[in-house]
Amino acid sequence: MAIYQLLPLLLLFPLIGALINGTIGKRLPEKIIGSIATLMTAIPFILALVIFFQLDEPVKSILFTAIDLGTLHLDVSLYADNLSIWMTLIVTGVGTLIHIYSIGYMSGDKGFYKFFTYLNLFIFSMLILVLGSNYFMLYFGWEGVGVCSYLLIGYYYADENEGLMNSKAGRKSFIMNRVGDLGLFIAFALILANFGSLEYDVVGMKMLGGEALPSVFIVSMITLSLFIGATGKSAQIPLFTWLPDAMAGPTPVSALIHAATMVTAGIFLMVRSNFLLEFTPEIKDVILYVGLITSIVAAFIAMRQNDIKKVLAYSTVSQLGLIFVAIGLGAYTVAIFHVTTHAFFKALLFLGAGSVIHAMGGEQSIRKMGGLKDKIKITHITFLLATLAISGFPLFSGFFSKDEILGIAFEKSVGVYIALAISSAMTALYMFRLYFVVFHGSFRDTKDVEHHVHESPLNMTVPLMILAVLSVIGGIFDLPGIFLKGNFTHYLDKLLGTNVLGLDHHPAHPEFNTTLVLLAVAIIIVLVVLFLSNIIYRKKGVIPKADEQYTGWEKLSNKNMYWDEAYDLLIVKPIEGLSKAFYAVIDTLIIGGIVQGIAKTVSLSGDVVRKWQSGKVNGYIFWMVCGIIGFITFFLIKI
Amino acid sequence: MELLIIPLAFSLVSLVTPKNIRKIVALIGALISVVIAITCWVNFQPDSFVELFSNEQHTFFRMSYRLGYDGLSLAMILLTNIVTFLILLANYEKNTASNKMFNTMVFLMQFALIGSFLSFDLILFYIFWELALIPVFLMAFWFGEKDRKKVLITFFIYTFVGSLAMLFSIFYIGTLTSGSYDYHSLVDIQMNTKTALTVSLGFLIAFAVKMPLFPFHTWQPETYTKSPMAGTMLLSALMLKMALYGVLRWLLPLAPEAYPLFKYTVIILAMIGVVYGAIVAIKQDDLKKVFAYASISHVGLIAAGMMILTIDAFAGAVIQMINHAMVAVGLFLAADIIDRRLGRRDISSLGGIAVRAPKFAFWFAIIGFASISIPFTSGFIGEFLLIKEVFLDKAWIGILVGTNLILGCVYIFRAYQLTMFGKESSFNFNDLTVSEIATFAILSVIIVVLGVYPQLLFDMVKPSLESILSIIKDSSI
Repeated sequence: MAIYQLLPLLLLFPLIGALINGTIGKRLPEKIIGSIATLMTAIPFILALVIFFQLDEPVKSILFTAIDLGTLHLDVSLYADNLSIWMTLIVTGVGTLIHIYSIGYMSGDKGFYKFFTYLNLFIFSMLILVLGSNYFMLYFGWEGVGVCSYLLIGYYYADENEGLMNSKAGRKSFIMNRVGDLGLFIAFALILANFGSLEYDVVGMKMLGGEALPSVFIVSMITLSLFIGATGKSAQIPLFTWLPDAMAGPTPVSALIHAATMVTAGIFLMVRSNFLLEFTPEIKDVILYVGLITSIVAAFIAMRQNDIKKVLAYSTVSQLGLIFVAIGLGAYTVAIFHVTTHAFFKALLFLGAGSVIHAMGGEQSIRKMGGLKDKIKITHITFLLATLAISGFPLFSGFFSKDEILGIAFEKSVGVYIALAISSAMTALYMFRLYFVVFHGSFRDTKDVEHHVHESPLNMTVPLMILAVLSVIGGIFDLPGIFLKGNFTHYLDKLLGTNVLGLDHHPAHPEFNTTLVLLAVAIIIVLVVLFLSNIIYRKKGVIPKADEQYTGWEKLSNKNMYWDEAYDLLIVKPIEGLSKAFYAVIDTLIIGGIVQGIAKTVSLSGDVVRKWQSGKVNGYIFWMVCGIIGFITFFLIKI
Repeated sequence: MELLIIPLAFSLVSLVTPKNIRKIVALIGALISVVIAITCWVNFQPDSFVELFSNEQHTFFRMSYRLGYDGLSLAMILLTNIVTFLILLANYEKNTASNKMFNTMVFLMQFALIGSFLSFDLILFYIFWELALIPVFLMAFWFGEKDRKKVLITFFIYTFVGSLAMLFSIFYIGTLTSGSYDYHSLVDIQMNTKTALTVSLGFLIAFAVKMPLFPFHTWQPETYTKSPMAGTMLLSALMLKMALYGVLRWLLPLAPEAYPLFKYTVIILAMIGVVYGAIVAIKQDDLKKVFAYASISHVGLIAAGMMILTIDAFAGAVIQMINHAMVAVGLFLAADIIDRRLGRRDISSLGGIAVRAPKFAFWFAIIGFASISIPFTSGFIGEFLLIKEVFLDKAWIGILVGTNLILGCVYIFRAYQLTMFGKESSFNFNDLTVSEIATFAILSVIIVVLGVYPQLLFDMVKPSLESILSIIKDSSI
């Protein structure tokens, strides 16, 4: 089959999976539900691989025209280039592993079929997002994944104590994303008005061709609005506080949606729109600094979080910030590189955390853990590998992708580089802290729980092992050209450069000697942090204090820098107050009063003329009809 | 012609059918209308005008009795017939379903609505417009909740003043024309700005009250709350569409000379309505009131969009009208389902229903998502087109109306979550019955089909919207 025929199939399978499990899943055994869902994710992965090896020129597959109003023409169509297929591979590849893992993790859950229906729906939406050929399609996927995310965050809505809290977390994520969506609406309106189309290739050709371009101001407004949309989905300041709350969902969901795939949608959007961004350097700087600040703030908060998933959530926010820095630097392919490696190691970290939580019987507080390294060996080893990868330990995947960003940042400005270096030092710090506190030292929960600790079943540990391999070797996708020469290096960069609009030129890398120094600095940072953490958390066995005992910066970090409280005070409370005030004052008192006054007058006059008026309300209807007839008669006579 | 006759006939039939088969007969009657409307649609040529009845002899009051439909009218007729059927279906298990006056009133309402959408004569339009008030009023009066009287007086005063204003405008037009209230001769009249403004003012007031536009809205939440479910649905899903339709069909083409004068007044009032309605909805305790204020917010967006003279905006307005009708029926049904089973619908006293009634939770969620215009629902297409056009006309207004996207989530999620989730309560809550599921399912299918393939609707309405646009643009130059 030709590529344009294969493309719709990619979407079809997860949709079918969702339909099967959604309709008859309730009556099927868990094994079958899980297998169907996994298969419906794995098949698109294989199809994507087939497409990947065949693809030279971009392929567009138009399914049907959704809207045709003359000037406005919106197609439902799919677009395959190396970027969209690469993203598809990540989504379906990591997705398949997480599906397999979930069969074990979710077994015994009452809503097992519902969970897999949502997961398949998520894959379906995510594929629309990355494979759509225009911004219109992207938005379909964008909101689709948002809905799935909402449903899955609030998955445990029926929980006795936490149910309402969980669904509120879902609501928060959705509303925050909606703020970003308004930005997207505006961007799309502007693109339509100025380019006459929402198709990537039409807009891209016009921008790259350089003819009849809109003014820089307009393009800046477009890119800024797009970026606002991206801050919502990809959890950047100021719209990032939903992501840590999103951890209320089941852990595989945190791994798939809130770490590896959905939250990278904003990055995908930026990379797709690179031809617009390149035209507006000011907005690129905005992106760079927003990403930088987010990266540091989130890393800071992660330092004193004591819920295993919260640490990882803030870590995700921080890493996404780092990727936005890459976009701000114009290093789009590097951004995708880090998206890829991040998908591996962050998915692994979350799944590992899930395995730990599983072993602990649902406990998420790292204060209660400790000494788990001998009890759950596979989880321990894989988690350690992922920790090394995210910290940028030499030769692990994170090392390559992160240093690529740092190197380019150094070329741009030393200040940015130093800030990034601090951020990655903090990353190593909170990750090693997490690792040592959870896996070393002594077990701190009750004997009952300790007795219960066990390694997860094979369907959970195999995905861990596969992801661990990828986290270690993921760097090969885009090896730096410093020591190696030839085709091995910058594979991803070349790949994306061949047929993705606008990605065929690259920001400057630092020269050889500088690169060496930067590498050395990066390695020293990791090793020093590892050395220190080892002393503090392993040798001395320092365990996290109780929340109340934190003071100074630790308290600030532990309390999430009071972002939520600030939003509550500045936005939520005023709107709620306004809501009550509007209703009480304007609706009831002023406008209602006037009308009631008239009503009173009417009923008073009703008293006066009671003799010929029934006083009942349907009497008024009668008089109205009489009135109409009267008018008509009057005019008849006049004629 | 059977479009009009069937509802009228069934309003009489309902009076004489025996009680035990009354509700099934009513349902069949409504279904026949749906089938007829669909047949009309299948045979319809997009850019044609189907004349049903015409009498050029101006025998009575200079009326030409011109009845017919173009794409826009047909869309509204389809909507009316489908929604009427759904209302009867939604109401199927309530006591009122077997009440003869109830069924008569529903059909009478359908008759009046169809008539107003078919009228291509202004006097005829007015008569149907006024006629529509009577059944919905009586329904609220006879079957509504207690302490409804004061509310209904307010409702009556508002609409009465609005209708009087329109009547005045109609007569004023009568003095300008040579002798006909026929649509095509009316739109050809050239007016100076002052005359045009006088004429449009009457229409504006009538339409603003019925939509309702801020600040003419205070009758609406109370009336919606106190009316019986079917009455609320008729009011919000259909009756206010008459006003929106009136703007497109009559107000704008009739006196386009005045359009530049009232454009921003309407847009800004609509914009205030969008934000105001949404903000007030956030803290309401009565589910029906939440949805009532939500309706004010949604309708505001449609009204604002109609003031932008582009095909995108008009098409967005039409699809949003349909979406709003579907969502209104769905949401008020959901509120009523809770009310039916528990006898209350205050958010603060509810919770944990989802565990008891998973089917209800599912369908309520779909309608909820449609109301916050998630892609794959018709709401998204409508809101996207409307917000886009309003934004491109005036950026800051577009952004303010766009907050609807955000605030909409706040009140819908709040209403949904606080009633459906949370502590599993001890009360008994039976899950949906077949007729309730059927209602939700039909609503959802329409919503999703139009959300994925809106061109289905646009093919039908585009030519008539374009001709309205060209009428407006020709005469305003």
